[in-house]
This record gives sequence, C-alpha cells and structure tokens, in this order.
Amino acid sequence: MTTKALTFPRLFPRPKADTGIWSWIGTVDHKRIGTLYGITAFIWFIVGGLEALLIRAQLASAESTLIGPEAFNQLFTMHGTTMVFLVIMPLSAAFFNWLIPLQIGARDVAFPRLNALSFWIFLFGSLIINASFLTGNAPNGGWFGYAPNSGATFNPGLGMTYWVVGLNILGVASIAAGLNFIVTILNMRAPGMGMFKIPIFTWMTLITSVLIVLAMPILAVAGIQLQTDRVYGTHFFNSLGGGDPVMWQHIFWLFGHPEVYILILPAMGIVSEVLPTFARKPLFGYPFVVLAGAAIAFMGWFVWSHHMFTVGLGPAVNTAFAVSTMLIAVPTGVKIFNWLGTLWGGNIRLNTPMLFSISFIAMFTIGGLSGVMHASPPTDSQQQDTYFVVAHFHYVLVGGALLGIFSGIYFWWPKFTGYFLNEKLGIANWALMMIGFNFTFAPMHWLGMDGMPRRIYTYAENMGWEGSNLAASIGGLILGLGILVFIINVFYSRMKKVMAGNDPWDGRTLEWATTSPPPVHDFDEIPQVKYRDDFWFQKYPETISEYYHDEHDQAVPSGAQIDGDDAEANAELPVVTGSADDHGDEHGHGGIHLPDMSYYPFILAFGLAIFGVAFVTDGLVLFAGAPFFIWGLLGWSMEPVND
Amino acid sequence: MTQAVTTQHHEPVENTSTGLNSRKLLMWAFLGSDVMFFGAFIATYLVYRGKSLVGPYPDEILNIPVTSVSTFVLLMSSLAMVLGLHYVKEGNRGKATLWILMVVVLGAVFMGFQFVEFREFAHEGLTPRTNIFGTTFFILTGIHGAHVTIGVIWMAFLAYSSHTGKLRPDNALDLEIAGLYWHFVDIVWIVIFTVIYLISATDGAPAGVERVIHG
Amino acid sequence: MANLWQKFTKYDGNGWWNLPHSASNDPNPPHENPIGGSWLSNIIRTVTHGGVSHAGPGFYWLVGLFLAIITLLEVWLFGVEGLGGWYIPILLGLSALKFVGVVAFFMHLRFDHRMFTYVFASSMIVGILIFSILLFLLEFGHQPPN
Repeated sequence: MTTKALTFPRLFPRPKADTGIWSWIGTVDHKRIGTLYGITAFIWFIVGGLEALLIRAQLASAESTLIGPEAFNQLFTMHGTTMVFLVIMPLSAAFFNWLIPLQIGARDVAFPRLNALSFWIFLFGSLIINASFLTGNAPNGGWFGYAPNSGATFNPGLGMTYWVVGLNILGVASIAAGLNFIVTILNMRAPGMGMFKIPIFTWMTLITSVLIVLAMPILAVAGIQLQTDRVYGTHFFNSLGGGDPVMWQHIFWLFGHPEVYILILPAMGIVSEVLPTFARKPLFGYPFVVLAGAAIAFMGWFVWSHHMFTVGLGPAVNTAFAVSTMLIAVPTGVKIFNWLGTLWGGNIRLNTPMLFSISFIAMFTIGGLSGVMHASPPTDSQQQDTYFVVAHFHYVLVGGALLGIFSGIYFWWPKFTGYFLNEKLGIANWALMMIGFNFTFAPMHWLGMDGMPRRIYTYAENMGWEGSNLAASIGGLILGLGILVFIINVFYSRMKKVMAGNDPWDGRTLEWATTSPPPVHDFDEIPQVKYRDDFWFQKYPETISEYYHDEHDQAVPSGAQIDGDDAEANAELPVVTGSADDHGDEHGHGGIHLPDMSYYPFILAFGLAIFGVAFVTDGLVLFAGAPFFIWGLLGWSMEPVND
Repeated sequence: MTQAVTTQHHEPVENTSTGLNSRKLLMWAFLGSDVMFFGAFIATYLVYRGKSLVGPYPDEILNIPVTSVSTFVLLMSSLAMVLGLHYVKEGNRGKATLWILMVVVLGAVFMGFQFVEFREFAHEGLTPRTNIFGTTFFILTGIHGAHVTIGVIWMAFLAYSSHTGKLRPDNALDLEIAGLYWHFVDIVWIVIFTVIYLISATDGAPAGVERVIHG
Repeated sequence: MANLWQKFTKYDGNGWWNLPHSASNDPNPPHENPIGGSWLSNIIRTVTHGGVSHAGPGFYWLVGLFLAIITLLEVWLFGVEGLGGWYIPILLGLSALKFVGVVAFFMHLRFDHRMFTYVFASSMIVGILIFSILLFLLEFGHQPPN
C-alpha cells in the first residue's frame, strides 16, 4: 500500500475544517452528503410545488387567462422534471446516504469521494436545468420531451437544450451514486451480515441502484440523440431524414419505466422498515418482499410499450405488453399483502411515521389499481393523455413515493438530529397532506373519465369540469399548507429540542445501535451480526426462539448459538478491535480510519458543469471548464487511494 | 509452463464482505452500465438500418479491408494489454512498460484509422447530417472513439508510471482495472465491426428510393 | 425440495442464494490441476475448468491467435457469396465467440470470482433482452412513415 501521498502541486492544503462552508464543500462524510442531498432536494420540492400551485391556479376556472399557454407549458414541464429528477430521486438518495452505512454497520460508503462527486454534479445539473428560467425560455416539451415536439423545428428556443444537457449531467450523478451504493452494500457489510440479513431498506436500495445504473445510460443515449438532432442537425427523430419520432418514445420509455420503479422502490423500503418497528413484529415474509422487489425491478424492463398503446404498434405488441404490465401487479400485490401481514396481530403504535406509512399502503393501492386499469389497451386508448393518467401517477408518486419519504423523515429524524419532530404538528401535517392530496387528485379520476385532456392550459366553460377543477385547486392549496406545517415543524422542533436518545422507537436495525446523531465514525465498534434484525435480538434475546429454528425445525433455545449455514462464516470472522493503526485494513473496518476530506470532487463537478454550459451556450466555453476538470481529475488521482 | 508464473491467486483477499476489491467491483458494475449505453446506440443503428432516403449508402462508402486492419489493431491491443498486466504482476518492469506502451501505440493507430475514415467519408459526402446512416454511424463510432481516446490517455499515464517504477506487482490492480475498461472498449468494437461493417456493408438504397450517384 | 422451501422461508435466510463471504469460498479453486498432462490438455482444462495455473503469456498469445483467425474468417466470409440468410447468423455467432473469448480470458472472468460474472452477465442479459424485443417489435409491429 502506498502510505505516502504522491507530491502534486496544490493551491491549498487538504481540507481539515470541521465547521463552516469549507467543511461542507470538502466533506466526504456520508451523513453530511445525505444532509446536503436532503436540503437541496427539499428546496427543489418547494420550487416544484409552487409550479404545481401555479398550474392549479390557472386551471381553477374555465377559460382563465392567468398564466397563458406559453408559461403553462413551461410550468408543467418543469414541474414534472423537477419532481422526478430533482426531488424524489435525490430525497431517496438522501436516505441512501444517511442510512446505508448505518444499516449495514459500516463507517462510510465504499467510495466517499465519488459520493461527494455525485452530490456536486447533481447540484450543478439541477442549477443548469433551472437556469433556463433566467433565459425566459424554460423547457416546454413535457417531462418526457416527445420528439418531434422537442426537436429544433418545433421547439427552436434554448429551453429543451437546457433540459437535455441538465438531464445528462444529472444522469452522471445518478450513475455514480448507484455504482457506489451497489459496491457499498455488497462489500461493506458488517461481519456476519449475509445478504439475507441486511435490512429491507438496504435491499430496496440495492435493487434501486441496479436499476439506476442500468436505466440512466439509456436516458443519456436519448439525450445525446436529441441534443445532436437539436444542435448539429442529425436525423435521429427527424422523419424527413429517415428517422422516426417513435424511436424517441421507445428509448425514453425503455428508461422511463424502470425510472418509475427507481422512484417507488426506496419508499417501499422505508415503509417496510417503519411498519415492523411500530407493529413490534418482524417484517412478514422478508424473502418474499426482497424477491418481489427484485421481480418488480426485472419485469419493469419489459413493460415500456404500455406508455405507447395508442401509438399504433399493432395488436400483437399491445397484447404482449398488456400481459406483462398486468403481471407486474403480482409482485406489487405480494408486497402489499406482506405489509398487511406485518400489521396483522401487531402491537400497533399509531404515530406520525406510522400514519404516513399506512396511508402509503392505501394510496399506493389506489394508484396501483388505476394502473392495472390502463394496462388494458382498449381502456387505455380512452384514458391516454387524460387527467385519469395524471390522477394515476400522482397517486403512485405523491401517495406512494412522497408519503413514504415523509414517513421516513419522521421516523429517522431523531437519528439524524438527536431530537424528535413535534408529534402534534406532525399529525397536522399528515392530516392536511392527506386531505389536500385526495382533494387534488381524486377529482382528476372522473375529470379524465369525462375526457379532460392533460397538458391543456384551459378548457371551455360548458364542459362541466369547473367544479372538479376548483376542488383540485383548493386541494392543492391544502396540500401546500401541509408542507408548510412540516417546515414549521422542522424549525419548531429545532427550537424545542425534545431529545430522543439512541433508540426512541425500539428499533430493529443497526442504525439505532449508535448514538443520535451518530458520531463521525458511525460506530465506536463495528457490530458483529448474527441475525436479521440483529439489534432487536440483542435487546430481546428471549424472542430468538420464536423466529429461529434448527435443522429439524425445532425451536432454538433462547440465547443458543445458531448452527447451520453460517456457522462456517461465523468461524472465520475477523476479530474486530478498535486499534487505531491497523494498516492491513483498507476500509476502516478495524481501526477507526476515516477518509480524509477532499475538494477535488467539487472542483471536478464544477468543471463538468461548465462543460454542460458549453453545450447550451458556445463550444468555446469548454476551454473554460477544462482547467477545472483536469485539475480535479489529476488532483483526485494523485490523492492516496487508501483515503 | 512454470508453476511460479501464475496470475490471480497471489492477490490478497480483501477485507470486504465478499472478499473482492471494491474498485474492481465498481469497474465491473460500470461496464454493466456501459453495456446499456452502447446497447441503446447499437439498437438505434439496427432499427434505422437501410432506411436512408438519400445517399451515400453503406455499400458505396464502407471500406471493409481498411476497417479490418483497424479492427485487427484494436484486437491486438487487447492482447498487449493482458500481456502487460501479466508482466506487471510478475514484476518484470521492462517488458511490462513495453507492452503497456504497445497498447497506447495500437490504440493511437486505431484512432488514426478512425480519423482518416471520418475524413474520407466527409470527403465523399457523408456527414452526420446527410442521412440516417450518417447520423447513426458517426454518433455510434464517434462515442466509441471517445471511449478509446479516454483509454489511450489512461494507458499513457499507466505506461509512464510503469516506466518510473510506480506500477509494481502490489498495485497491479490499477492496471487491471484500466485493462478491464480497455478490453470492454475492444469488445464493443467487435460488435460494431460485425453489425455496422460486415453486415451492413452491402446495404444500398431501400426499396422504392431511387439511387442518386454522387460525383 | 422441502429443504429448499425451508431454507427460503426460514427467518434466518442464509441459504443457497447467499453471496460468498470471501475469496476462500471461491468456487473456482486456484490450483485445481497439478502439473501433468500435455500442453493441450492443460489449455483445455484452463478453458473448461477455469484453473489459473496455466494462464500465462503462452495462453494469452493462443487466445489472441484464435481471435485473429476468427476475424480473418469473418472478413473472408464477407467475400463469400451464396450464404444467403445464413450470412448474418454466422457473423453474429462468430462475433459472439470473439466477445466471449475476450471477456472470459483477457478480462479474466473465467479465472475470477463468480461475482464479477454475475454483475456483468446480469446487465448483458437485461440489455440483450430489451434491445432484442425493441428490434423485434419495430421490425414486425410498426412501420415508420417513409
């Protein structure tokens, strides 16, 4: 191992600060990066929410002229893009960052600097997309950017170029983060923690990361093709040159459908942690939840054409994709029944995280069922591009992903900060969100059935849509009020600081074994894992015999050593000591060796962002980015590998 | 065949849950990601194969003998790569440097071939804007060329550190990971050579489109 | 079967699907064939059993030669007339052979831990499946407006 750093001219020394802005720019600590992800994504959440409120304001009455068609197109495009790429994905990433090392008993992710790089690229990419507002020409082609409408002929402004470049930059960030978490989960588990002993949220993170790593390159390809079409006059989606706009739809949805599962699987993982904790029962059918998640992820690749039933792919193709789409409801149903089975007979505590999680099951089921409805091509041809589809995916993404994420915020806030979020404000937040959410999106079901198309900026007075639209707009305000209560709750709880202690919920997984908030090195001593929900069985060893059986299906006496499959694995576990200078240890599993801070991820991401700007402005800008890029790359590669 | 000359099992077992090195696992996962990237481009090419509305068509412009040579060059660079890795692990600095340098040279020759080919095509009237063949051909091979360029720069750095003695048997993994990337670029070209060149080289104008001979 | 079910449903699921703990559990033992036998049988065993003891420069040169010969064969086939509908399948097969040759031996997947094969093969499988389906349905389902 190289122990001495190779010399490389540095403009400033390696960062050491513990506080202040430089400590954040140079940080490689997974907890700080998780916080950065969370705060950034929440700011974009407010931006995207305000965009949604403007859309609802425009649609509140018939033939409104409040916003106008141009701004309306930009608003719904940016609302969708923001919520998918800048809110739900990074909020999930915030949970990945915070929780994965804690849940698997590691001191950090496998590649701390790569992790920092992911965040900075994400930040700059999100800024580039939103910078398009400053040019007065935000993206306006929808979050799916259908060709040829997104091409240069019909959309000559810079907006869609910003969109494409921004998404490609975000894709780099997502892929880097996804690779990092795959390696972290496979390679950094605490001694004794087999793959079927890791917490369910970690499993869902692994599956989501695999999906990110495999799906985002396809978006990158779509983006590059659209970009060259727009800027360099190629013919990928230009039928005059032999191209085919339908190819855009295929490539986009080849990415887009796995993306849907990228959004929902982390929330499913969160709910699968919250329910067992507050039902005081282990998750019902853990292997089935894991395999159902894997099955959803795998089958999610073979359903993309159900977004294109009305394109005219022919009855054979439509039928095949209808069948595969309906099949994917099976593993999803398995998960829902497992959650119900977890609740069944449990000693249930109804507090804010639990309320959010139970609402998740209900709302996600409604959204899932309307999804099965338009899995049928004849039905779908009625519902395509109507508000019914809008209702469906908001029930899945807001009622599913977002409620799950809020559940996780209330659940893990004590671990993140050391104090509780206020329970009364939390319940107000939950109630307002639930009322507002259902008022907003339930009417869209019958609006869509009644034929109201999506993405129109207004509608005629005599269509009979005014009442429902007004209800939806008022519901949107209530939903916004719920979010406001959440923000108030954050500041109020921060002021009051009702301290939580290490294990406020009587938790089951390893993150509750360390202090709240965790120390920089996460664990004073790396835990040795023997069981699934190991922390629970450490606290309640008498319950081991309820769940563990020996080879002859006899109950294991309490506290006895488990034999069988992992006896061999246990035998070769290294003895972990806390010695500070264990040189044979590369990842800090033994001695508390933490990765040093580094500015280079920030510098590299900054260079990459300037490259991105070059694609929307002028190629010469590349030369402005190159020094930062090369400096970041060289500096990074000269830093010792071990750090 | 000396027993001492072995490659893999001298690697120390890493102190990770799987016993595998994290960086190597990262590279393999990244290559899996890159599979999807190139897969989407190659699929686009195949979908649009034979759909050009104007010439030049592949049968007028593709030069199989020349591309066969450049394919052979890239294939042999993979051989040089694996030999370089072998000698680094063996601690034979001279031979290791030689073979890694050979990778750089062969990679650069391949890039030269591609540059000449692109210029020749442009000269004969095929650009990314000409027709859908030009679009799909240039973007796919161009992206592959960008991968080769990155690989050549990476290999040049490694050849230098082998020359100065910084690349030793104990950090041969640096070269092995770069080598995985290099071999991957090679196997992508194996597919491209078959799909774009050998299979498409006889593609002419699609049915119903009149062929215009270019001067 | 009952055992499999039990392993699968048992609360402590540490069964057959579990990932290996360390390289000492490596399914490909490093020294599986001691010195002996002809050079040819050594190479055959290297290929079929993934032993690493004989993967030296000679073996790599041989693989390189093999790849070169296939490339020559491909270019030769390009000039052969009368293959008809067999031309494309044969070429795809040959390039798949080269692909596997490089991945298995130059990238050491044959000698390495199975984990790397799982990682790479799973993405190859997903990629090949979805892009084949895409080509298939565009070929037989939908005709672009020409």
